[in-house]
Amino acid sequence: MLLEARGITKAFGSFKAVDDASVTLERGDILGLIGPNGAGKSTFFNCLTGDLKTTSGRVLFEGGNITDFAPEQRAGLGLARTFQVPQTFEGMTVLENVMIGAFLRTAHRKEAETRARAVLERVGMTRLADAPARSLGTPGRKRLEIARALATEPKVLLLDEAMAGLNANEVKLAIDLVRDIHRSGITLVIVEHIMEVIMSLASRVMVFHQGKEIARGSPREVTSNPAVIEAYLGKRAAKAAAGHTPVELMGGPDL
Amino acid sequence: MRRLVWLSVVAAIAIAYPLLLSSPFQQRLGALVLLYAIAASAWNIVGGYAGQVSVGHVVFFGCGAYAAMGSYAKFGLSPLFGIPGGIVLAVALAAIIGVPTLRLSGHYFSMATIAVAETMRLIVTNTEWLGAAVGLSGPTVPRNVFDLSFLSSLPYYYLFLAVLAITLLVTWWMTNSRMGFYLRAIKDSERAARSLGAPASRTKLYAYMLSAALTSVAGALYAMMFGFVDPESGLGILISVKILIMAALGGAGLLFGPLVGAAILVPLEEISNSWLGGKGAGLTFVVYGAIIVVIARFQPGGLLSLFTGRRKPGADKGAGHAP
Ligand SMILES: Nc1ncnc2c1ncn2[C@@H]1O[C@H](COP(=O)(O)OP(=O)(O)OP(=O)(O)O)[C@@H](O)[C@H]1O
Ligand SMILES: [Mg+2]
Repeated sequence: MLLEARGITKAFGSFKAVDDASVTLERGDILGLIGPNGAGKSTFFNCLTGDLKTTSGRVLFEGGNITDFAPEQRAGLGLARTFQVPQTFEGMTVLENVMIGAFLRTAHRKEAETRARAVLERVGMTRLADAPARSLGTPGRKRLEIARALATEPKVLLLDEAMAGLNANEVKLAIDLVRDIHRSGITLVIVEHIMEVIMSLASRVMVFHQGKEIARGSPREVTSNPAVIEAYLGKRAAKAAAGHTPVELMGGPDL
Repeated sequence: MRRLVWLSVVAAIAIAYPLLLSSPFQQRLGALVLLYAIAASAWNIVGGYAGQVSVGHVVFFGCGAYAAMGSYAKFGLSPLFGIPGGIVLAVALAAIIGVPTLRLSGHYFSMATIAVAETMRLIVTNTEWLGAAVGLSGPTVPRNVFDLSFLSSLPYYYLFLAVLAITLLVTWWMTNSRMGFYLRAIKDSERAARSLGAPASRTKLYAYMLSAALTSVAGALYAMMFGFVDPESGLGILISVKILIMAALGGAGLLFGPLVGAAILVPLEEISNSWLGGKGAGLTFVVYGAIIVVIARFQPGGLLSLFTGRRKPGADKGAGHAP
């Protein structure tokens, strides 16, 4: 077991954004996390990375309890993430952004630069290396998020809507990149609204609704689950929609 | 390459200045510019690069000043011996202040540092052993050269120049190290930096301690040149504000920003003081107030960023926070 969350609850005041959610992640998995807006996906995600302190529950990494670890400690163990809203280092070049990730594994500037360049090559951003990061548009920023995280040499990579805001073609390229990352031996957790992405990447899917897990299984199983369709569309619509393929109903594929 | 040419030109001017403009007033002015440049450069490490706007930096200045004068007044030693003592004191104090306050964001950190500095001033003002309101004096008649008590400003000028060079070298080295990269990242997005493994609190604390150490050296040099320290000249909040404004005016987060700021503001203050006498001090503060407004409104990167063209990382936030 690489990563495990047991009974995670995260409350903001009296509101439980995540309510008793559990998940296990095996080496080589691509776990998809889906659910309507405000379902609690990002909150759950932030509990795994240490950005938020859990109200209750435990997080285990390679068997060790990391519930009280700071985000930087978790990064050190091999847990990397991207942000739903890109957190680009605006004052730096693209290369320097990636070097921040590379510095986790080396204290030397030259070595960090070499490694960062290798990562940029891998994600196809070599030409942009010396461009100021603030000049990037959404697709560039999303890709830079991934590049930075990769530079930390993670075991698990958590992507929070890494493809939101991309056009069809950019989504295809991003899917290829995620496949390539997976092939290199990195385990992935992907939060995604675009069903096509989940269908083509995830080995297992977990569905959130109002802070609770309402279904899990293979992408096919999950998308044909009535509870899931209902969560997305409401009860009446779900009845009316019976007979349509679930993927269509859930907004994809729009590629 | 072009940078190297510029650097040589600036160095040549700095070395030749007190020989070319050699009146006592001009030499004293030069020495003061360098002294404030040291203090502002030291502040720049935490205020500019780390984006943590300390307004209480004068406590570290005071550590150095009191240690230098104390080593003479209390132990009969050369004020020079006070320098390492002042550094130890400043670094320890920075650790004590920094651990709880560096977690506070933006303005809260600034306010906390003001509170600490003012508290320190009140404590020292009421401590008989430290000379209370009168302060401590250095050697009036130097026993030897190590007392660093000179009539002319010239020896101070070159001493300060050497210390400034070291300060800038340390800063430059830091910006090119992992620590410097981490600081810039933390300033842009602490959350993202931490997610990539940057230990944000520790990195900021180290920057704060380094800055405190260098600031205390500036304080020691100041006391040596003036031959005394009292709660106003060693721990007055206006010294903090001056240092901060110089760095912000020249360009916080830029290596030479503080030097540029000091080279503009120190002469301004000295000249207005000598023209207008006591009334000059009031005018200086009006000017400072105006500068704060202008910096906050128009050029958050500071003057130097006008010339370098690119708004360096440190620039916006460091200066933008200037209260
Ligand atoms: N810091 C916070 N304080 C209070 N409420 C919060 C906070 N963060 C999130 N919430 C609430 O928790 C709920 C879950 O939010 P979360 O961002 O986890 O949803 P999500 O599934 O990621 O949604 P989206 O698909 O829109 O990204 C929402 O109702 C949100 O308003
Ligand atoms: Mg979200």
